[in-house]
Amino acid sequence: MKQTPLYMPIRQLSKHIRDGEISPVELTEFFLTRLEKLGPTFNAVVTVTRDRALNQARKAERQIKAGRYKGPLHGIPYGVKDLLATRGIPTTWGAAPFRNQVFDYDATAVKKLDEAGGVLCAKLAMIELAGGMGYKQPFASFTGPPKNPWNPNMWTGGSSSGSGAAVCAGLVPFALGTETWGSILSPANNCGVTGLRPTYGRVSRYGAMALCWTLDKIGPLCLTADDCGLVLEAIAGPDPNDPTACSELWRYKHRVKRRFRLGLPKGVADNTHQEIQTCFNQALNVLRQISTVEEFEFPELPYEAVTRTILNAEAASSFDEFTDSGAASQLTAPEDRYGPYARTLVFARDYLKAMRLRGIIARTVDAAMARFDAVVAPSSRRIATPIDQEFRKATEGTTRDIMGAIGNLAGLPSISVPCGFTTSGLPVGIQFMGRAYDENIVISIANVYQSLTDWHKRHPNIPLD
Amino acid sequence: MTEKSDEQVELLHSIIKARFSKFLTSEDLERVKEDLRSIKESSDAMASVKLRNADEPFFVFKPYKGRKARL
Repeated sequence: MKQTPLYMPIRQLSKHIRDGEISPVELTEFFLTRLEKLGPTFNAVVTVTRDRALNQARKAERQIKAGRYKGPLHGIPYGVKDLLATRGIPTTWGAAPFRNQVFDYDATAVKKLDEAGGVLCAKLAMIELAGGMGYKQPFASFTGPPKNPWNPNMWTGGSSSGSGAAVCAGLVPFALGTETWGSILSPANNCGVTGLRPTYGRVSRYGAMALCWTLDKIGPLCLTADDCGLVLEAIAGPDPNDPTACSELWRYKHRVKRRFRLGLPKGVADNTHQEIQTCFNQALNVLRQISTVEEFEFPELPYEAVTRTILNAEAASSFDEFTDSGAASQLTAPEDRYGPYARTLVFARDYLKAMRLRGIIARTVDAAMARFDAVVAPSSRRIATPIDQEFRKATEGTTRDIMGAIGNLAGLPSISVPCGFTTSGLPVGIQFMGRAYDENIVISIANVYQSLTDWHKRHPNIPLD
Repeated sequence: MTEKSDEQVELLHSIIKARFSKFLTSEDLERVKEDLRSIKESSDAMASVKLRNADEPFFVFKPYKGRKARL
């Protein structure tokens, strides 16, 4: 390879592959070596899938040489959060009781990446059971606390922790994560990478661990918004195995050439860390070059209570047998060992009330957002917290998450991009949340923002030896 | 939390104890009580919004019919 593929965006890597300047096998070896040598440093990897990766890379190389180039992901290495089923390879869900679990099929998202010519190199670490048992601290994974490549004493965010860390540390060019409430945006924020939570149903959930059937979403964590668009196009679309999957294919439309209209929820950055406010305000100044920014208010509704009730009720049901068996006592975090029990007593009446309110909220929120292309807000109300502390206790100001509650409850797409760094060198993110099915708009805004800034081009210095 | 709410939490807690105390330490059981309070608070917050009879849950049930039966 003439130049290092490290931190090279997918579009650039794929051009080198297509032009024969980079070999998929060489590229795969490069990232396998990084995964094997650096993965343990950050507790970012559960399983390196070396054999499968090299087989896929050799196949890609043969196909490309024979003129059968499939597209921008052909020959590109990647990793997936270890809650996506992969045939014949352990899928641990980050949890000790499932460390030997092996499925005999690939999750649809993995299958689609396979069809696009992607090269699966690793199953990435995650918070046990996607944080669904109510974890409060980074040490909630049987592979150890995920460490932030910007500062290994700090947390990556979760629950797609390894996906964020692996992209940030240059262990893979991109990764898949999942979000029920915050699990893509949080690691994107803490690790300074770009993370896209798609509209609910955009990507089939088949083969993903079910935490909450009406909240779970699969999405990419990448170096750029453009990369997120390329990956989403490959994994989106209908799937007979998931009745909630969208019935249409999704095409990534690179950039929309017009001025954007951004909504700024009143007080959205209030009571956050001072350095988040500083970075956010600087980002808004940049955004004013390409958009109007208009303050507005979401109507007062119990967003968090509704989202929490749905999460509690569905997680109680999806882990019913697990809870009744007492297997939670084998989980790593003490709070996860008692977390599943109270929620077994969420009343059906409350769950149905939450589902009735969900319809009202979806319509109300959509109406509030209708005059904007997207809503802009800090990606998280916290910067990376110390790895040995409960993250809510270590957070300054409020820990309420109205944006996360609204976005996940209404199934709205949101993309998080880095927008600055704290004085201690930790990344800060900004999110663009769109109306349902408006991924192309939020990616376009993020694309333009990244064309005006270089935060996404900053990477931690991690020597291989 | 009102006295009535506390009473409800205690009642629910007794169900948890009856069903799951074999898996939980006494400290865990106290923490479960905090979780029950949080669930009750969410329920109370939702009760602040009045719904109409016509406000249906935001999901759709569809009857299922498999392949056509042979006559």
